[in-house]
Amino acid sequence: MTMSHLPAMSVSLLLASASTGAVAGDRELGEYLSAECVTCHQLSGRETGAVPRITGWPDEHFVAVMNAYKDKHRDNLIMQTIAGRLAADEIEALAAYFGALQSRSVVK
Amino acid sequence: MDFNRRQLLTGAAAVAGATMLGSPSVLAQAKPRVVVIGGGAGGATAAKYIAKDSAGAIAVTLVEPNANYQTCFHSNLYLGGFRDYASITHEYTALAKNNGIDLVRDRATMIDRDKKEVVLAGGRRLPYDRLVVSPGIDLKYDSVPGWSQAAEEAMPHAWKPGAQTLLLRKRLDAVPNGGVIVMIAPPNPYRCPPGPYERISMMAHSLKAAGKDRCKIFVIDPKESFSKQGLFQEGWEKYYKGMVEWLGPKVHDGLKSVDPASGTVVTGFETYKNAALVNVIPAQMAGAIARDSGLANASGFCAIDPSSMKSAVDANIYVLGDACIAGDMPKSAFSANSQAKVAAMMIRGELVAARTFPARYTNTCWSLIETDDCVKVGGAYEAKDGKIAASSTFVSKTGETAEMRKQQQAENMGWYAGITADMLG
Ligand SMILES: Cc1cc2nc3c(=O)[nH]c(=O)nc-3n(C[C@H](O)[C@H](O)[C@H](O)COP(=O)(O)OP(=O)(O)OC[C@H]3O[C@@H](n4cnc5c(N)ncnc54)[C@H](O)[C@@H]3O)c2cc1C
Repeated sequence: MTMSHLPAMSVSLLLASASTGAVAGDRELGEYLSAECVTCHQLSGRETGAVPRITGWPDEHFVAVMNAYKDKHRDNLIMQTIAGRLAADEIEALAAYFGALQSRSVVK
Repeated sequence: MDFNRRQLLTGAAAVAGATMLGSPSVLAQAKPRVVVIGGGAGGATAAKYIAKDSAGAIAVTLVEPNANYQTCFHSNLYLGGFRDYASITHEYTALAKNNGIDLVRDRATMIDRDKKEVVLAGGRRLPYDRLVVSPGIDLKYDSVPGWSQAAEEAMPHAWKPGAQTLLLRKRLDAVPNGGVIVMIAPPNPYRCPPGPYERISMMAHSLKAAGKDRCKIFVIDPKESFSKQGLFQEGWEKYYKGMVEWLGPKVHDGLKSVDPASGTVVTGFETYKNAALVNVIPAQMAGAIARDSGLANASGFCAIDPSSMKSAVDANIYVLGDACIAGDMPKSAFSANSQAKVAAMMIRGELVAARTFPARYTNTCWSLIETDDCVKVGGAYEAKDGKIAASSTFVSKTGETAEMRKQQQAENMGWYAGITADMLG
């Protein structure tokens, strides 16, 4: 299924309405791929400067945002480059990995 | 806390398994050992990821002579007054404690590749199953005629962190209004391609902020062009008009010599006398331990297998960061950190049969030109045609909005917090 022509919003609606309501990503693959994200996005959930927290998001939301970068609906040269080379199953794997991480409520 | 619990569980399971097998040889079998030389962007990251992801199944020793890590990255921001020195200085204690890494504060003096042992200055020998070498760069002191290690006080380089960074700032602060600064830029390849030009921007910012706008910075460059040139030159024209003069080789006709005692720089085109500050950034090569161990080729840097970061000459050794030949990737902390994660995965694959995936690399380098005006360059990379090749790249454009440039500086600050937590947390 290709969703690249759908706007980000309908992607998330589409996924949210899927029977399981969740994205079944390969968490081990996600953990490996996540290494490239955590050079900027902190695993602890701490936010600094313009680098947001990406842990604990609902899977469908994570997938929709990454697809928006991949399709260049969302602006940011770095995120467009990173998302651009991720296949659909890889984005799902990342969503599963980061989604399962609870952000600590109190961060240094 | 989570890690400790996992480690305990793994340990208990291992003991139970061994008892069940009833074989003393299983109990006696030592854990695989990884030694990492250098606690910088490459080495600290590799040590952390191997230790963290193997949860105690691999014994990781990190060899680093310095008590703390002072980052070269963002040292230009310190120079420009955008950061204090404490904020670019980091302890190793959390890294060792949180991840169960044995931190050895010493210098590696030799790698005995036949015996698979690292020899330390203090005399200890550390046996390894796999070795990670990430010693950064050494300076070629003889690449600038008249300059030497003895002259690095008079004409600082500040291309290695610590005392030199502090010295350059002190010397910059002492430059009088109207004083002349000369930067000798390095030839390729060198650590941080946009670094010299970000430094020029930060020097000019600092001078201007101190009301010393009659100062002039001359850049004697051996290269015809440089990283993000259009962006930097646009910024210099906009913010520091008349303060920065960049001279390529066709114009300066070659650097002939420097005289540290009198602050003189002689080029084929002109002689600069009584410079208030001369910043010499010389040619570079892989850190001595990599070269002395036969890991480097004639270029002075170390060839690697782009699909794993494994040394091209020794299957038990991985070379990371500035010391390696990383194809299209620049020598940056971001690159070293990215390469370290590939190496850590491959090493776990070899030693504890962890799952491995095809190598992927990323880099982004931000450069601050003036307050809230930051540009970036970066790319995604993979192993292709025998090297690490760019699969896609990007660079900021001239004429971007102030809002975008400001946002990029906020990203730059976020990246710094992220990478230092990732390396050392
Ligand atoms: C002015 C400047 C600005 C920069 N800005 C940026 C930036 O904005 N972004 C970016 O990504 N990069 C930047 N860089 C580049 C970045 O600092 C390097 O690319 C990065 O540090 C390389 O990591 P490394 O692991 O190869 O070496 P290093 O980080 O230099 O680490 C090497 C470590 O090895 C240790 N060591 C050396 N020899 C031995 C031995 N024999 N035994 C034991 N330990 C040893 C050293 O003490 C050191 O701690 C900048 C560099 C400079 C100079």
